[in-house]
Amino acid sequence: MTRPTTDQAEASPTKRFFVSMLTRDINLADAILDLLDNCLDGALRLANGGNVDYSQHFVKIKLAADHFSIEDNCGGIPREVAKNYAFKMGREPDDDRDSESETIGMYGVGMKRAIFKMGREALVRTRHGDDTFEVPITSAWLEAKGWDPLPINEPTEASEELAEPGTVIRVDELYGGVARHFANEAFENEVRTAISEHFTMFLQWGLKVDLNGTPVEPVFVEVLVSNRADGPAPFVFQKAIDDVLVSITVGLNTGRSLGNDDEDEPGFERDRSSATAGWTVLCNDRAVIVGDKSRLTGWGDGIPLYHPQFAIITGIIEFRSKLADKLPVTTTKRALDTSSNVWLESLVKMKEGMRIWISYTNQWKNHPRVDQSNYWEDSKPLSLAKTIAAIALRSDVKKSDSQIEFNPQKAKVLPEPPGKTPSSRRVVFSRPVEELRLVSKMLFDVDDEKPGIVGEKCFELTLAKAKKQEP
Amino acid sequence: MSAGSSLPYRLRPNKAVDRELFLSLLMRLAPVLSLEKYHYVGLGGPFLEDFRLVHARLGVGRMTCIETEAEVHKRQLFNRPIASIECVHNTLEEYLDEIDFETPAIVWFDYTEPKGITTQIERFARTIGAVPLGSVLRITLNANPESLGKPLPSDISVEIGDAASGDRAAKPTVQEWRLARFKERVGQLFPSGLSPEGMTHKTYGASVLRVLKLAVEKEALNFRDRQIVWSLATHYKDGQAMVTAALVVCAAADASVGNLLKEWEFLSTPDVPHRLDLPALSTLERLTMESNDDIREKMAFDLPKSDMGEDPITVFKKFYRIYPHFSRVEL
Repeated sequence: MTRPTTDQAEASPTKRFFVSMLTRDINLADAILDLLDNCLDGALRLANGGNVDYSQHFVKIKLAADHFSIEDNCGGIPREVAKNYAFKMGREPDDDRDSESETIGMYGVGMKRAIFKMGREALVRTRHGDDTFEVPITSAWLEAKGWDPLPINEPTEASEELAEPGTVIRVDELYGGVARHFANEAFENEVRTAISEHFTMFLQWGLKVDLNGTPVEPVFVEVLVSNRADGPAPFVFQKAIDDVLVSITVGLNTGRSLGNDDEDEPGFERDRSSATAGWTVLCNDRAVIVGDKSRLTGWGDGIPLYHPQFAIITGIIEFRSKLADKLPVTTTKRALDTSSNVWLESLVKMKEGMRIWISYTNQWKNHPRVDQSNYWEDSKPLSLAKTIAAIALRSDVKKSDSQIEFNPQKAKVLPEPPGKTPSSRRVVFSRPVEELRLVSKMLFDVDDEKPGIVGEKCFELTLAKAKKQEP
Repeated sequence: MSAGSSLPYRLRPNKAVDRELFLSLLMRLAPVLSLEKYHYVGLGGPFLEDFRLVHARLGVGRMTCIETEAEVHKRQLFNRPIASIECVHNTLEEYLDEIDFETPAIVWFDYTEPKGITTQIERFARTIGAVPLGSVLRITLNANPESLGKPLPSDISVEIGDAASGDRAAKPTVQEWRLARFKERVGQLFPSGLSPEGMTHKTYGASVLRVLKLAVEKEALNFRDRQIVWSLATHYKDGQAMVTAALVVCAAADASVGNLLKEWEFLSTPDVPHRLDLPALSTLERLTMESNDDIREKMAFDLPKSDMGEDPITVFKKFYRIYPHFSRVEL
């Protein structure tokens, strides 16, 4: 039996360790999105459980070689929250903010992590009601050994006031790599794209997000739905699983035929899918993942790996819950917790929906010259919510109290290529363009007919000959 | 190379001005970068006119002309104006994959085919990291919005200001239709926020250049030893509309090329390309325009505008120095 001494072993984390661990598992663009998440959580709190009018809110983001700033009018930080929680590294169990609203923040690291990722000097200025104050995070504090509390300063000059309740975060002394990114137009475009995708719902509801002086436009993630009750429509599934309402749709993002554009490009087929092809995962209106084409969302897991042939397939899944920790997201909010039950159960249905469209594209790929677009002429691209509302009205939808399900293959509403025979095989070959021109000129009197059509006509000619010779 | 692109320069005054601008850029860079030691790689067409001029103006010794078509390649061997020009029967891409440049290079990706622009742009962007520091890269891309295809008249609606056709809600305008095709064509390179207004004859060139710029800047983030200095961008049309962009790959800390180009009268970036929309002129018209300030009074008629929509007199005044003058010589 040992006995206790007065000596103790130091076990608190060092700041350097904490900061480097914290910032390592997030990329720069995601760190910016985290700050935007905080703005939206602020707007949600301001509405106090009611509906948020997002058109009343703005977020202005500035990326520059020498500083970063983000400014909003989403209510600001209450002083008590600033004193006790907002600048703490991690969330306290007694912090019961947001238990009744659909916010997505739950670990309390977003703002700090974003600041530490970018630079060594930061200032958080906020106004909650009429109370304005600011919290500086200096490089001296970052380098100091202990975990001294951060100062809270009040404005003494008019320039330190804020016009309306909200928060401004400014980061200076950016790290070298960060400064290079912020000055780069391609990075700005990447951030703009990420915002337009991940915050598409809020932007559609009127939220104004401004990046380096230009407003960000929402990207619409939609699937085609026919107006006709027996017209082609996407797969739909909706059910509450473990306090989470799960809504799924899988369909086409375009009715146009595949591969009729750049068919004579050399080498392997390019993936020319838009960002919205693949899977988009929404959690309480934020898109956690957009256009995923990996194993994460089921590709290559009991169904084929993603291939450009599937670029016309779009899947959307939404998880909605007032209990943020029931949602299958990780701390970065831009990744999924794939071991959660709600995700695993949903994945089965996602794959079921994908199989329908994989076999649809398989059927049509052997008929490249036949246009499938006529069948989709009277269809319109609709968002997930509108798709479910439209499909729920159909007579052949399976509906019960707890779930809605519609399978277009079983409902027999999908177009089939004319003359479809199970024995169709694809003929593909390459010839030099000089020879193609020669044959094209002979057959069509122009030397630039599409190679596919030239090849097909050649086959028809030979086939007619072969049939004649047959005894 | 398609049959159309072997039209001689005298029938394409805007392309001739575009080429003069590029030569003018090279002349400006020559003393600082010692361009005569560079390796020039391009697509010469059957007559190798660019090669003749680059050699004459800059004295570049090592030159390689790439051609995919066998007959044109043989014709190049016959036509080559300088014996030292190496003619290679290959694709430009494969040639670049197989070569390790010993000296900095001038590479002109003279693309004309609209369908492959995504691959073309990616290839160009990738090259900035593969060439020695000091290299000059130039790309020509097709900028005709009709190359995105033509919708059936029954598939589109029209809208001007407040007035719109009855089926506006159900059908896209031609610009919206093109934007959807453009998105399919450029895939992940699509610039966030690009709107249907960028799909007209007047604006499509700028949209293509935007895609190009973002792709190159993105690639540039991967390299810490080098920076990109955009130096010349043009948008012109003789028949097919084209855009071009040229850049110099400089060492990261080297500001000399940037400073040298700052004062150059034709410096332009993909954000604001020169719009070369020069009218075809008679000799008398040209001499009148060059020697008078009050052109509009002297010539009591309007010169025709093209669908790029530039004012012909303004454009002429900007580029008259390098406007080509062709006349017939009977041999």
